[in-house]
Order: sequence, then C-alpha cells, then structure tokens
Amino acid sequence: MKSNVSTAATAPIATNGDTILSVQDLRTHFYTRDGVVRAVDGVTFDLARGETLCIVGESGCGKSVTALSILGLIPPKIGEIVSGSIRFDGTELTTESEREMRSIRGNRISMIFQEPMTSLNPVLTVGEQISESLRIHQRLDRRAAWDRAIEMLALVRIADPKRRAGEYPHQLSGGMRQRVMIAMALACNPQVLVADEPTTALDVTIQAQILNLMLELKDRLGTAIVLITHDLGVVAETAQRVIVMYAGRMVEEAPVRELLNNPKHPYTRGLIGSIPRRKSGGARGRTRGRLQEISGLVPSLREPIPGCAFAPRCSFATPRCITEQPPFEAHGPRHFAACWEVARIEATSSDQLVSSPT
Amino acid sequence: MTAYIVRRLLATIPVMAIVALFVFFLLHLTPGDPAAVIAGDDASPADIEGIRRKLGLDRPIWEQFGVYVWNLLHGDLGTSIFSNMPVMTLVMQRLEPSVVLAIATLTVAVAFAIPLGVLAAWKADTAVDRVVMGFSVLGFAVPVFLVGYLLIYVFAIQLRWLPVQGYRPLANGVVDTLRSIALPAFALGMTYMALIARITRASMLEVLSEDYIRTARAKGVATPSVLLRHALKNAAIPIVTVIGIGFALLISGVVITETVFNIPGLGRLTVDAILKRDYPIIQGLIIIFAGVKVLVNLLIDISYTFFDPRIRQ
Repeated sequence: MKSNVSTAATAPIATNGDTILSVQDLRTHFYTRDGVVRAVDGVTFDLARGETLCIVGESGCGKSVTALSILGLIPPKIGEIVSGSIRFDGTELTTESEREMRSIRGNRISMIFQEPMTSLNPVLTVGEQISESLRIHQRLDRRAAWDRAIEMLALVRIADPKRRAGEYPHQLSGGMRQRVMIAMALACNPQVLVADEPTTALDVTIQAQILNLMLELKDRLGTAIVLITHDLGVVAETAQRVIVMYAGRMVEEAPVRELLNNPKHPYTRGLIGSIPRRKSGGARGRTRGRLQEISGLVPSLREPIPGCAFAPRCSFATPRCITEQPPFEAHGPRHFAACWEVARIEATSSDQLVSSPT
Repeated sequence: MTAYIVRRLLATIPVMAIVALFVFFLLHLTPGDPAAVIAGDDASPADIEGIRRKLGLDRPIWEQFGVYVWNLLHGDLGTSIFSNMPVMTLVMQRLEPSVVLAIATLTVAVAFAIPLGVLAAWKADTAVDRVVMGFSVLGFAVPVFLVGYLLIYVFAIQLRWLPVQGYRPLANGVVDTLRSIALPAFALGMTYMALIARITRASMLEVLSEDYIRTARAKGVATPSVLLRHALKNAAIPIVTVIGIGFALLISGVVITETVFNIPGLGRLTVDAILKRDYPIIQGLIIIFAGVKVLVNLLIDISYTFFDPRIRQ
C-alpha cells in the first residue's frame, strides 16, 4: 500500500504566487429554531490557478455550504460566515461589499449547481439566461451578448445552438440543461468554477460526458475548479487534489492517487471501502463479495463536538478521540489527516477497517 | 399556441349553454304562475293575461325555449317589463360606467399592490413586511362605503379637488370621466389592493426560494433584477388569476360603491331589476355576467401562456 505513494499525481502544487483562492479556517453557522448548526467548522485550503480540487463527503458534511460561502451566497439572517478568511486573487471576500461580490459572482468566480432541472429559470430562454451574465459583467449589448451566448452553447457542444438559444429549459434534456449551466458559468471566463455535485442528478451515461466537457473547457480556458461530490468515482477521474470532509471539518487532504491508494483517515478508508469495485489485480476480476458500509450516523452539528467528529463511528476510536480534537497535520508529502490513530490504522489491512467485521 | 386558444374557446360553449338553460328555466322554476309572479300581488287577471301573452308564456315550453335561444344568438335579451326598453339597450347603457370603474379600480389596485407585495416578499419578516401586510389587513377590514364617504369628505367637500358623485361618460371627455371615477376607484381599490398584495407576496416568497433564484444570484444579478426579471414573471400566474377574478366581480357587483358615488352602473341596474321583479332584465344580466366571467377566464388562461412557456404546447 505505502509503496503507492510514488505514483501520486505529480501536478504542480500551489505555491503562494500561484494561488487563486485561499480559504483559511472558514466557519459558517446556520441559526435554526433548535440551535446553531456548525455547517462548516474550520475549513482551510488553497486552490492553485488551473487546478482541480475535489471536496468529498456525505450529504450534510458542509461541502455545499463551503461553496456558497466562497460566493457569499449564505442567506443572510439564516446563516453567516462567523470567522475565517476567503482570499481570492488578493481580495478578502468575507468583508467585501455586496456590490463588489456581485461583480465577482458569475464573472470571476462561477458556480454550477446540482439540479439542472430546477436551477434554470423556466420562463426565460436559455439564450437570455446565458447572455445575462455577459450583459452584466462585460457590458455587452443585447445583440452581442446573444451572439456570444450562441458561441457558448456551441462550445458546450449543444447541437443547433442558434435554435436552442431561443428555447426554454423545459424543452431541453437534463444533460443539455447542465451543458447550458456550464455555458452560463463559463461565459465570462471565470478564474474559479465551483461545481456543486454537477453530475449527481444526471444519467450515468451522461455523467462522464459532462465531466469530460468540464475538464476539457477548464484546460482550454485555464479555469481552476472546486468540484464538490460524494462520488469517489468522479474524484478518481477528475481531481488533482482531494479534500475529504466530515461533519463540517476536513479530515484528510492529499493528491488524488495518494489519497485513493493510501488513505490515512478511517473515514476516507470507509468511503473507499463502500464503493463497488473489482478486486484490484485479481486475475479473474471477480467483484468483491460484499460492500463495506460505514455503520452509524453523521453526528448532529448542533452540539459542539469536542473530539474527533468521526469517533462514534470509528472502530479505532480511543477515549482521547472523544475528548480531544486531532490536529490536521502532515502524514506524508502533501498528505494531511486529522486523526490520532494514523500509525495504528496504517498497520491494519484496509479490509478490516471501519465497522468490525461480523 | 393557437390550438390552445381554440381549445379554450370551444370549452366556453357548453358553459354558456348551461347558463342559458338555467336562466330560461329560472322563470319557470319559481313557484306559481310566472306571469302572476311578474305581475305582482295586486295585479288584475287581465294584467296577468297581458303579461303572459307579451312574454310568450302561453306557448308550449319547448317552443318558448327555442325562441329564447334564437333571440339570444341574435343578441336579443328580451324586453324590460316596466320600461319597455330592450334589455340589451339597458345593459349597454350601464356597461360603460361599470367597465370603466372596474378597469380604473384594478389599475389603482395593481399599481400599488404589486410593488408592495414584491417589497413585502423581499423584506419578508422584517418591519417593512409587517407594515405592508398590516395595511393590507386594514384594506380588507374597512368597509368600502366608509372609505368612500371619507374620501368624498376629504377630497370632494374639503379640498374640492374632485366631484362628489356621479359619472361623466367617456363621450364627454376622458379627463372628466377619470375625475368622476377617481374616488370610487380608490375606495373600491383598497380591498383589491390588499388582496393582490397578499397574493403577490405569497407567490413571490415561493418563487424566491427556488433554485433558479440562487442561480441568478450566483451569476451576479442585482436584487431589483432578481425580483422583477427572475422572480415576478414566475410568480405572475396566481396574481393575474386574482386580477381577472377581481375584474369579473367588479363588473357584476359593486352596488354599494355605485350607490355611494351615484354611478349608474350594472350593479344598480341589477338591484333595481330585482326589487321591481323585472325578470327579463334579471335574466339578461345573468347571461351577461356569466359571459363576462367566461370571457375573463378565457383571457386569464391565454395570459398564462405569456407568463409560462410550459403552458404553450
């Protein structure tokens, strides 16, 4: 297992001058009737120009809230960024005025959402919806913006873009709608694209097409991508670097090969163990007899968690794990994890992890 | 689109046929001899016989119905028993004030209600929202005649800006018509303002929680454009429905307002006809009101296609 470190992705890692987005100790809380929900509880990462970073985790682990925090789209009064810093190309976004944020959103940082069915406005044509960002940010007139919208539709490989531009979302298939979302997000050539589960709502056959399209356009336009997903298959195909989140916190970060081959955190191991796959190197290519599951539930984020959030579900947990939060520290080159028991876990074969086998 | 309109248009035919049938039998369903009912308590047998002959009630009922439908199709609603005027002529005389009042009322109501409703939705659960919705409760609660007399007292009697009562026909100049209709339009408009503002707020609140509103914000769209361009058009269908129903109600029943402001509209024609038991007028009005409602419904349905492309197929 450990020998696989050498095969880790060799993509250039962010040096300071190359960093386009830097998130430091971000905490975003929501205020509900039942109390404060600590949706994001200390997230830190740098994104290099042109890099693809995946954020992985179960639903409710704070992935989407991290994304919305970056764009300043946390609904006021319901939630807020309580501390931390988000620096984008030298500008601190958490203290930026709404007006400044508007000039960044859709222009220099764009977002693609999970549900292409509901994320497009049903009463505006797709051409209108794409040209709107161009008219706002690049001050194009109606005609020029429309022409550019048609170019964008062609770029995301929608057939007959002239006709499609005049159509409404309900006239398009799910895959086409997500292409429209991508066209919309990339229309102003953003430096950062935040994609929140962009393929989750699509047919499996369409998923690969959309991912490949995003990666291809990213390469062509030099956009950095923060790809949020719960699907490790997507991670394996797209990411250069991966962050694993659990209960609003980062539990592990590593280049993609390194993470998949040599996961340190028991939660990451659990995630990897829960994907159906063929036995690696198995001569007969037999599928594994049984999928592993991570037993137990994601903890409530309403109570402050003093120790490791994963401890109640972790078969390696010690009393210290319950009471003391493990630091997010290096356990190898560019490989970080927040776990007290890394040494013990590394000594265990990955098949015996997480829930004790019965 | 055309197919949609044609379908809606065809659907109005059975509705109007049922109304016509009901209206025809209205007279025959009232207990006793229709001619005697019309003639009233102290009529002589000769009077009753005269009425019977005049209305064709002495002929077989199916023949009567045939004649009635034939006349209806030719725009003949019968003749008033008391004034001997064709009902159609009487209705037409009263139609203009009612339609002008209805349009003016809704224009006033919509002009205030939609901005207020949008504002309340945007500022939901804030002081602004509570003030707007508080006024809307007030608008519902205060009777029209009270508002009417108050407006007359302030603007007509004290300030002398507008006439106290009466209606000036359009033929004598639009400005005079608008001056004569201003106070009643505001008095009546209060209720509709309240109603439309509430519907607008509710519908906008629903739309503002939609994913595509978040998409618009993520694109950097400014709040006014989010509210008006992205949200309001999506929220429009319940709003136009209420406006349409409001129009139909205004045409057929604003007796109190017409009385307070002394406007010779359809509401007063209806009340007068009922009090005098002028059955042909009552029947004619029912047909006309039903027709207006069917027409308004048709227009509402067609307007949906303007707001929502999904309805167009």
